[in-house]
Amino acid sequence: MSTFGQVRLVAGREISTRARDKGFIISSLVIVLLVVGVMIFQLVSGGTTSSTTIGVVGGNPSVTTALQQSGEAAGTEVTVTDLADEADARQAVEDGDVDAAVLDPAGDAPTLVVESSSDDDGIVRSALAGLSVAAQLAEQGVDLQPAPQLTTTELEPADDDRGLATVVALLGVVVLYGLLILFGQFVAQGVVEEKSSRVVELLLSTMKPWQLLSGKILGLGALGLVQLVLIAVVGVTGALALDVVSVPGQLIGTVLVVIGWFLVGYAFYASVYAAAASLVSRQEDLGSVLTPTTLLLVVGFIVSLQAGQDPGSTLATVTSFVPGLSPLVMPVRLAAGQAPLWEVAVSVAIMLVAIALVIRIGGRVYAGALLRTGGKTKLRDALKAERV
Amino acid sequence: MLEFDGLVKTYGENRVLQGVDFTVAPGQMFGFCGSNGAGKTTTMRIAMGLARADAGQVRWRGRALDDDVRRRIGYMPEERGLYPKMKVAEQLTYFARLHGASTAEATRAVDEWTERLGLTEKRTERVEKLSLGNQQRVQLAAALVSGPEVLILDEPFSGLDPVGVDSLADALLERCRAGVPVVFSSHQLDLVERLCDAVGILARGRIVASGTVPELRAREGGRQLRVVVPDAPAGWAGGVAGVRVVSEQRGDTVLDLAPEADDQAVLAAALRTGPVTHFARREPSLVELFREAVSAA
Repeated sequence: MSTFGQVRLVAGREISTRARDKGFIISSLVIVLLVVGVMIFQLVSGGTTSSTTIGVVGGNPSVTTALQQSGEAAGTEVTVTDLADEADARQAVEDGDVDAAVLDPAGDAPTLVVESSSDDDGIVRSALAGLSVAAQLAEQGVDLQPAPQLTTTELEPADDDRGLATVVALLGVVVLYGLLILFGQFVAQGVVEEKSSRVVELLLSTMKPWQLLSGKILGLGALGLVQLVLIAVVGVTGALALDVVSVPGQLIGTVLVVIGWFLVGYAFYASVYAAAASLVSRQEDLGSVLTPTTLLLVVGFIVSLQAGQDPGSTLATVTSFVPGLSPLVMPVRLAAGQAPLWEVAVSVAIMLVAIALVIRIGGRVYAGALLRTGGKTKLRDALKAERV
Repeated sequence: MLEFDGLVKTYGENRVLQGVDFTVAPGQMFGFCGSNGAGKTTTMRIAMGLARADAGQVRWRGRALDDDVRRRIGYMPEERGLYPKMKVAEQLTYFARLHGASTAEATRAVDEWTERLGLTEKRTERVEKLSLGNQQRVQLAAALVSGPEVLILDEPFSGLDPVGVDSLADALLERCRAGVPVVFSSHQLDLVERLCDAVGILARGRIVASGTVPELRAREGGRQLRVVVPDAPAGWAGGVAGVRVVSEQRGDTVLDLAPEADDQAVLAAALRTGPVTHFARREPSLVELFREAVSAA
């Protein structure tokens, strides 16, 4: 049997064991539900322009036009309905058929009927003011010219697509963070399980430590990737179906970037977690050796949230090059359009070098500490220990 | 031939192995004996690639053991270990596959061995749910399911009840008859004496005695006699030339005879003191040979 036969067998066992694990199944469902929830929230809360219906008693076409123009200026679509009299108007407001009703709009004492104070007040007020001015000027024989059309020159145009991409990237980073912690823990628990049950001795009589380690990391990584792609497919399909986003190309691009960073981040964290876990022999001792690495992940997560607010900040720029932090920060900067391609390339290159180092050193620690069951092995001892 | 050739291993100041040599032929059952800390486990771990020898090597069919060869060896570590949460059959299939069996071969072997070791009912149970005795059987099955060419077992009998000992012994003898060299370490010397074709006694990092039990006896040189003369006074045999009294208790006497001593003279001396109810050559047990070898080393 080939060298990679053993790696494949180990990976296969990891996948089939984990995929049937209750904790894993539940956490997968929770993440998918979370993504769907966020999308529904986006759909309900954001995007659509507001609209209102205003009833008019004794109106005319110019009143209707004035109300609609006034509404347009306030960003509200106004629908005008004619009502018979005051009683009819009150009834319509109470029933909610209209949001507000104006009595005698062209007269001397116009009245607005609303259920309670509303934004419609302002729309109606400015519409009537405009009408009154126009009427008075007409009485004086002034011939009104239409107002000049205003042209707006934006010095820093707000980029709606960028904003959306940043939101998607942030959402991706949340998922990324969750998966890195989850699968990092899986790797660590697996390493300790083999040590504490001492099955590792039987395993190492058929393979080298690096085969066991790579099988474990590759197997769980494949499972993590499948889960991430599943979440991405649900997310993208949902977002497109629910019309949350208008630019599918950019959405998919951002999602692919997040998946790419997952691969890099997972390779890094899984190796560190595995090496750290190999130092202890009991699940209870796992917390203490994993904490420094988990803290690094938490810092990366917090910085990435900050980067979502201010992607051009020095903090975001610097941390997007720091190995371990970059997988969480760089996707946000990239989505916000704040990272030129060469910076991304440099960041990925640094990360790849770091991964190579971590695998080299981590592999040594793992191989040195694996057969030292009972108690906790010091990092230095593990590096010096004989490797089989 | 499974050859252990000049194994040397030092841990810090502690010279655990100082040139361990022995050979196990195909179809031979080799009992590996030694006091605690003599280096039996280290020797076996070196063979399985779990420790590295400072010098020397282990060969199977003339080829130094590497990962490929080791995959054809069934191993039972002193520290038992299985995946606690994995089901019995699934786990055994996994180990068979790691040893190079195809899925179909593995499934067939798992069915066979779980049945032979009385684990048929437990195939779909998690290992952690099993009794210790059954866990031990699964451990043995893990060493056997791959149909290994060689068996190396570290204290396979420890922790087994007499029924378990018998079924394990049967399984090992059967493999042995099929031409597999079997090496196992044990403190139960009576068991080693009963099962093994050959014995190696390890003391202070070396094999101080090895061979078949009769060979070891022959090497002891002397002969022993047990004579029972119920009415004999104490010290009755003291006067016979070339005879040393090993033990004497109410007429039950064990005597050590020098090569030139005449056993018939002993019988004559015994008869002079009264009726002799027992007169026979006495074979020293492996326990005695072991004590002798270890104390001489």
